[in-house]
Amino acid sequence: MKKQPEPTALTREQADALEKELDDLHRELKADLGQADVDHIRSVIRLSRASEIVGRLLLHFGLDPLTFVAGTSALALSKILENMEIGHNVMHGQYDWTLDPALDSRAYEWDLVCAGADWREYHNYEHHTFTNVLGKDRDVGYHYLRVTPEQPWRPMHLLQPLLATGLAFGFQWGIAMHGVKFPEKFEGQKTLTELHQRVVPFLRKAGWQLFKDYGFFPALALGNAPRVAIGNLLANVIRNLWTFCVIFCGHFPEGVTYYKEGEAKDESRGQWYARQINGSANIEGGSFFHLLTGHLSHQIEHHLFPDLPASRYPDLAPRIREICARYGQRYTTGPFGAQLGSVAKKLLRLALPQQGLTTA
Amino acid sequence: MRETTFGRELRSTALKIAQRLFLDRSASFVLDELGTTRSLRELRARVVKVIDETPDIKTFVLEANRHWRGHRAGQYVTVDVELDGVRHRRCYSLTSASSDQSSRRLSIAVKRVPGGRVSTFLHERVRPGAVLNIGHASGDFVLDAVPSAASQSLLLLSGGSGVTPVLSILRDLDARDAVGDVVFVHHARRAIDVAFWAELLSISRRRPGLRLELCLDEGDDGSKGFTEEGLMALVPDYASRHTLLCGPSGLMARVERMWAQRGLTERLKLERFGSPTPLGSPTHDGPVKVRLTGPERTRLTSGRGSLLAQLEAVGERPAFGCRVGICHTCTCTKRSGTVMNLLTGLTSSRAGEAIQLCVSAAMSDLHLELQETT
Repeated sequence: MKKQPEPTALTREQADALEKELDDLHRELKADLGQADVDHIRSVIRLSRASEIVGRLLLHFGLDPLTFVAGTSALALSKILENMEIGHNVMHGQYDWTLDPALDSRAYEWDLVCAGADWREYHNYEHHTFTNVLGKDRDVGYHYLRVTPEQPWRPMHLLQPLLATGLAFGFQWGIAMHGVKFPEKFEGQKTLTELHQRVVPFLRKAGWQLFKDYGFFPALALGNAPRVAIGNLLANVIRNLWTFCVIFCGHFPEGVTYYKEGEAKDESRGQWYARQINGSANIEGGSFFHLLTGHLSHQIEHHLFPDLPASRYPDLAPRIREICARYGQRYTTGPFGAQLGSVAKKLLRLALPQQGLTTA
Repeated sequence: MRETTFGRELRSTALKIAQRLFLDRSASFVLDELGTTRSLRELRARVVKVIDETPDIKTFVLEANRHWRGHRAGQYVTVDVELDGVRHRRCYSLTSASSDQSSRRLSIAVKRVPGGRVSTFLHERVRPGAVLNIGHASGDFVLDAVPSAASQSLLLLSGGSGVTPVLSILRDLDARDAVGDVVFVHHARRAIDVAFWAELLSISRRRPGLRLELCLDEGDDGSKGFTEEGLMALVPDYASRHTLLCGPSGLMARVERMWAQRGLTERLKLERFGSPTPLGSPTHDGPVKVRLTGPERTRLTSGRGSLLAQLEAVGERPAFGCRVGICHTCTCTKRSGTVMNLLTGLTSSRAGEAIQLCVSAAMSDLHLELQETT
C-alpha cells in the first residue's frame, strides 16, 4: 500500500479556512435534501423488509439445504441493511428533517441486542465528538484491543488476536456490552447503581432479541424449529462478521491518527474537522458494497457530516478528497481486502510489547 | 361496536408484544404497500369526497381508521402532508357535528392560502381515495365548556374561514335538537366568499331559534363589514349572551377589546387561526443563555422572538408542527427561567411547566429539557 505523508498540522488560520469550506459544503447539502433522500431510505426499508419476509418463509417452509442457504442469506441481508443503512443512519438523525415518525432518530429501535438509547449516547455523543482521542473515545480498541502503540501494552494484549476473532463472531454482544460499560464496572470506574441503570434496558432488549430469534420464530415453524433457530443464528453471525469488518476498517487501519487527551482540548470546529479526517479511513468499492456498509465505507465523510443522509457520501467524496489534498490532510482509503489486512496485521503486531513502537 | 376495557387492554398488550417482535414493522410495511388506511399505530383517514364551497374553500369528507377517538363540535385536527420529503403539519377545523368512536366519518374545511404549500397541495392534488395522516381532535372551542350553553342564549361571531368551527357547532346543535336562542353573525369580504351559507339557511328555516346575519365588507346595501355600532344594533342583547368568536385577527382583536371594555371577557370564547401578531417585542433585551438538558449543552440566543426560531438559529432542531401555538408538537418542559407567551402576553416563571417553544419568548436565561436530535 502506498504510504501517505503524515498530515500537516494546521495553523489556526488554515483550520478556520477549512472550517468555512466544510461548513459551506454542509449547508449546501442540507439545503438540497428532499424527496430523493426519502425515496432512497424507503426503498432500502422496503428491500430489507421484503428480504426478511422471503428469508423467513424459506426457512420456515423449506426442507432442503438449498432453501436453507437462500433463506439464511436473505435474512442476513435484511439484518445487514436494517442495522447499517437504516438503523445506524436513522439513529444518527440523518432523516429527522423529514419529520416522519418512522424515520425519527429518537424513536427508532434496531434489530440488535444493543439498546438504541445506549448506543445513541455512546456512539453519537462520545465517539463522534471525541473521535480517536485516547481516554475519551471508548471506541478506540473497544477497551480491550491495542490499536496504536500509544496505548500502553498490557499482558492481556497477547490474547488480542483471539479476542478480536471472538468479537467478530459475537459483535452485536460486544457493542451491547460496550454500551452497558461492563469493563469500566469491573475496573471500578462505575458504581453498581449506574451499572444497574444500563443493564436493565440491555437485558430487556437482549431478552427480546433472543426470544424472537430462538423462541418465537422457531416455535412458529413447529417441526422445522431447529432449522429456523440455526438459520437465525447463522444470519446473526453473518451480520456480526460483516459489521465487525466494516467498523474495524473505519478507524483501525494503518494511516489513521490517534490523539492524546490534551490535543483535542479547546479545539476549534475546523480542528475538529481535521481530526475527523485524519482519524477515519474509507473503503473503496461499488455502489451495492457501499449500501451494505450503510455507507460507512465513507467513514471520513460520515465523520465530517454525521447528520447528512449517508447515501450522499459517495457523491461528496471527490470534493472532500480535493479539500484534504489542498490542506495536506490524510485521506486514508483502500480496497476492502487491503484495509482488512492492514487492521489484522496491526492487531497482531501490537499484541507484542515492543513491536510497532512507531517505525513510521 | 364498543370494545370492553378488558378487550382493549388485551389488544394493547398483544400489540406491544408484536411491536417488540418487529412484526409491526413488517405488518405496517405490507399495509403501507397496499395503500390502505389500516394501520397498527397511526391515525389515518381516506378522503371520500371533496366539495368546492367557495373559490378558495374546499370541504374534505374523511373516513378515519379504527384509531379515531371521536371529536366534539368546534375542535380541529392536524393534517400531515409530505412535500419534497418533508412532513408538514397544519390544523384544520372540523366542520362535522360531534362524532364518537363508532362514527368515523368527519369533514374538514381547507381554505387555500396564497403561497401556502399545504393548502395548495390539498386543493390541487388530493382527490377522493387519497390517504392522509391526521391527528386526534383537539381544541377547547366547544360548547360543553360553556356552562349549559344549549339552554342559554348564544352569540356566534365569525369572519372569513372562521365560519368552519361555528358551522360544526351549529350542525351539532341541530343534530341534537338543541338549537335554542342563537344569533350567528358572519363577516366576509364579498358574497362569493361566504361558505356554507345555503346550509346555514336551511338550518335556520328548520330552527326558528336561529337568526342569521351576514355582514359584507362590500355589500350592496353599503354595509362596511364589522363595526362595534353595527354589532350592537344587530344584537342589542349581546352582553347577556355567551359568545363564541372565530375569525381574522383584526376582527378578533376588536371584538375582544369591545367585550373587555364592558367587563364581559369571561363570556367570550375564542379560537385563533393562523399566525398571531406578536405583541410588540416584549422580550428581554440582549442575548439569552439557554441551557438545554438531554444531553447537557448551552446555547446563546439573540433573545428576540419565539424560542423555536431562536433555537433553530443556533443550530438546534426542536420538533415542531404548526409554529403558531396550536399543535403542541414543540412543547417541552421548562426547568427554570421566565418566558412570555406571545399569544397571551402572560409571563410565567413556574419550574417544570410545559411551554410551547413556537409561541414563547425568553424573558430571562432559561433551562429547558430538550432532546438533541443530531
